[in-house]
Amino acid sequence: MFDNIDKSKYLALLVLLLPSLLGMLAFVIAPIIASLILSFSQWDLIGDVKWIGFDNYTTIIFDPAVRTALFNTLMFIAGYLPSVIVIALGLALVLNSKIKAKTFFRAVYFVPVVTSWVAVSLVWKWMLNPVYGIVNYGLSFVGIDGPGWLYDPNWAMAGVILTTVWKDIGFVMVIYLAGLQDIPENLYEAAELEDANAWQKFRFITWPLLARTTFFVTTISLINSFQVFDQIWVMTKGGPAGSTSVMMELIYKNAFSYYKMGYASAISWVLFVIIFAVTITQNYLQKQRSAYNV
Amino acid sequence: MKIINKLFATVAIASLSVAGFANAESVTVKYLTFSAAPNYIKELDATIAAFEAKNPDIEVEYETAGWEAYFTKLQTLVASGKAPDTYELNHENFVTYASKGALLDIGGMLGADKSIYNATALDVFTHDGKQLGLVESFSNVVLFYNQEMFDAAGVDYPAESWTWKEELEAAQKLTKDGNWGAFAPIQFWEFYKTIAQNGGAILNDDKTEVVIDSAQNVETLTWMIDKINKYKVTPSSAQMAGQSSEDMFKAGKIGMLRTGIWMFGAFNDAPFKWDIALEPGNTNKAHHFFANGVVVSDKTENPEQAFKWIKFLTSSQEAVELRIAAGWELPAVSDPKYAKAYLDQPIPPSRDVVFKALDSAVVPPVIANWNQLTDAVGKELEAAVLGTKTPEQALKDAKVAIQAIM
Amino acid sequence: MFKQFENFSAGRSLTYILLLIGAAAMLLPFAWMIATSFKGEGAVFVTPPQLIPTEPTLDNYFKVFNSSPMGRFILNSVIVSSLNTFLVVLFAASSGYAFARIKFKGREVLFYGYLATMMVPQQVTLTPLFVIMNFLDWSNSYQALILPTSFSAFGTFLMRQFFMGIPQEIEDAAVLDGAGHITIFYKIAIHLAKPAMATLAIFAFMASWNSFLWPLIITSDSSMMTLPLGLSFLQGRWTTDWNVLMAGTVIGTLPVLLVYIFTQKYIIKGLSHTGSK
Repeated sequence: MFDNIDKSKYLALLVLLLPSLLGMLAFVIAPIIASLILSFSQWDLIGDVKWIGFDNYTTIIFDPAVRTALFNTLMFIAGYLPSVIVIALGLALVLNSKIKAKTFFRAVYFVPVVTSWVAVSLVWKWMLNPVYGIVNYGLSFVGIDGPGWLYDPNWAMAGVILTTVWKDIGFVMVIYLAGLQDIPENLYEAAELEDANAWQKFRFITWPLLARTTFFVTTISLINSFQVFDQIWVMTKGGPAGSTSVMMELIYKNAFSYYKMGYASAISWVLFVIIFAVTITQNYLQKQRSAYNV
Repeated sequence: MKIINKLFATVAIASLSVAGFANAESVTVKYLTFSAAPNYIKELDATIAAFEAKNPDIEVEYETAGWEAYFTKLQTLVASGKAPDTYELNHENFVTYASKGALLDIGGMLGADKSIYNATALDVFTHDGKQLGLVESFSNVVLFYNQEMFDAAGVDYPAESWTWKEELEAAQKLTKDGNWGAFAPIQFWEFYKTIAQNGGAILNDDKTEVVIDSAQNVETLTWMIDKINKYKVTPSSAQMAGQSSEDMFKAGKIGMLRTGIWMFGAFNDAPFKWDIALEPGNTNKAHHFFANGVVVSDKTENPEQAFKWIKFLTSSQEAVELRIAAGWELPAVSDPKYAKAYLDQPIPPSRDVVFKALDSAVVPPVIANWNQLTDAVGKELEAAVLGTKTPEQALKDAKVAIQAIM
Repeated sequence: MFKQFENFSAGRSLTYILLLIGAAAMLLPFAWMIATSFKGEGAVFVTPPQLIPTEPTLDNYFKVFNSSPMGRFILNSVIVSSLNTFLVVLFAASSGYAFARIKFKGREVLFYGYLATMMVPQQVTLTPLFVIMNFLDWSNSYQALILPTSFSAFGTFLMRQFFMGIPQEIEDAAVLDGAGHITIFYKIAIHLAKPAMATLAIFAFMASWNSFLWPLIITSDSSMMTLPLGLSFLQGRWTTDWNVLMAGTVIGTLPVLLVYIFTQKYIIKGLSHTGSK
């Protein structure tokens, strides 16, 4: 009996997991390991590979460009992550309530999600244009003299964050909508019997029961926002004056513009360790908080 | 890493045997280019057709990539042992590839035919005394001006004797009705030339010392920025708002523009009369000199055929004539009849300025880690333009950054 | 919830107004993109901005199609993106199911290994991957364009989260009927997972459709190139024609939007109504 279950289990793993695992090994993990090995080398991509031990890693510690990029990346996350989660969750709550045309609204808010980053960045670069763009034109109607956005080092990152939030709201909203569907209606009915107000219902029913969803959303968003690149590459190239220089932009430049593949790999691995640590911590904290977790 | 080296070796052997097998009749030469797309594909096709007609045993297969993506692609190809037989390199990247030993010495095959090229331009593609590439074309930057704007403002056209002072006076008269008098970008390339117009430099002559923060360089940078902030004859990047200076010139919004002769074609149908002049300097004349070259990979299986192709591409009558007719930069051949064909074209009238500017050509102080240097200096220049640093401070910081890179 | 809104019409109206403003903000950039793509050369840089071009023209679209063999590029993109999407969903659903519902030794560690692959930037794995492709002699081939991106840790993560929500009772009932995991996966789980799979499909399609760096490196023959490469040829070294670029962007965006319109009833409605109940 137990043997049978085991056999069927291993057969299932063989059929369901192994193909994916083999593909991962060949096309994802092998190149990743190669990049780890390269991070201990000096390689300009043209000549031979030179082994230099931990030199790349010690260089990183004292490299002001890395510090700036890490700082800017954290600034991006600090602006982006709370905004996208709060707005998308609020939207999901509204669109999950009894409201007319909610299918329409759900569909519309999801449209930016299915548009390419390059297209979105180009269009927003245009819209944020201080002279010919429609954002400052709109602001002028309410008496606000809009900033220089991507041309102003104090505002460029805000422009990038605005664009990213705009694009990602729909994605996070849909995931939250799915999560809200899993919450049994009778919990709210019970709460109403006890005269709970809307805030109490959210605080003690909705939010805790959304923990698994929030874990998924924050994990994905954190991993993605540590690697923010496409929109910055199209919109600002890290400028003006380095104000939007982020980790991925630094890695790309080192790999393909400065001929320093080894150093770029080392920075990637530092970034990897940071992301991994943050993800593990976040998972741990959430496990502490809720039983409804992975 | 051994694994990767082994992979490289296997790939090399595999491609060897495949190439050897196909060799029996005709040979394929691969060519990677950035300068052909998007505007000169037709000319490249015609050049290849002419070459293949003369060399029926050689087939040229080309691939184009846009400027931004080109070097990412080239590096990946070279890194994995799949370098194309022949490829295009600009001067700065040539120095990088040459110093890494990725290029074939073609001096022997060129021999006495050296003389068909302009000597200065060909010399750019030597490294450690070896000829590692052929010069394909060169270009420079001059002062473009809108004659009708000058006429309307009653200002004399720019003369060879002009200095920054006359340029500024003219610009102030031209700046009105939403039009701007003058434009020069503030970025690394413009900077190294403009400081030369004031007797300055980034590195000393033997490239051992960083002199970017000299007094005359601070004066130069201040002048460049003053044109925007103090005299307001040049639009700031926020005022230009994503519109390129070239587009603005073509729309008749800029009186004098410092830009490359590669814009001749694009400005050809401008709805006003325009011409070019030598750039005004402060104490010196100085003009950019850019050269593109074509090289043969040291990994090629067919060095002779590859060389035949790049020689044809850079110096044959067919290729040169196609280039001149299309305005696809300037072939760097020495035969004066080609220069005449170039000069005879009607727009702009003063085409001889292109050749006069060569007398005061400055080449960039290329060092290893060149791209990193240009980024670092560019960032400091941006900070100075934005006013977050004074010109003195920006150049001091640039000096520190360059020293760290060197 | 939010019942008090129903009784309080001012609050309700405010909600609608905010929703409508938000919806307009979502769609405006597309209107802008489409409008610019029909503008003539002179109409791009004007103040105030024109939302509706006064003299619409199709020139920009002709320019895009004349710049490179766009038809072939689009065909390649369709082939690559569809096959890639199919494989991503297949591998993600099966592995996601395994991680969610099959208990085995080292499951957590392996799963975190999958997650970890998302954290290494593509830039530095590009060159080693290219070496592997050369070793397999795959450069310039559909399999090189398709396979490396067919194994998505994100997809596995998404599907795992979904399968974890399937109540244990469903599985128990199936087991009582004598079904093993493979049967449960193909007969039950995969049907319940349609909405999640549709969501993943649209992401996979989009990622593949827009992929630039990898096709740039792995293809050298224009018969194998994809749409984003063609669009990148529109940007010259010295100047940018915004209107032409926007026409190219419209061409690049439209197919994905169409796929979305056809699948959105699964994605939006499906995700919210069937869920994992």
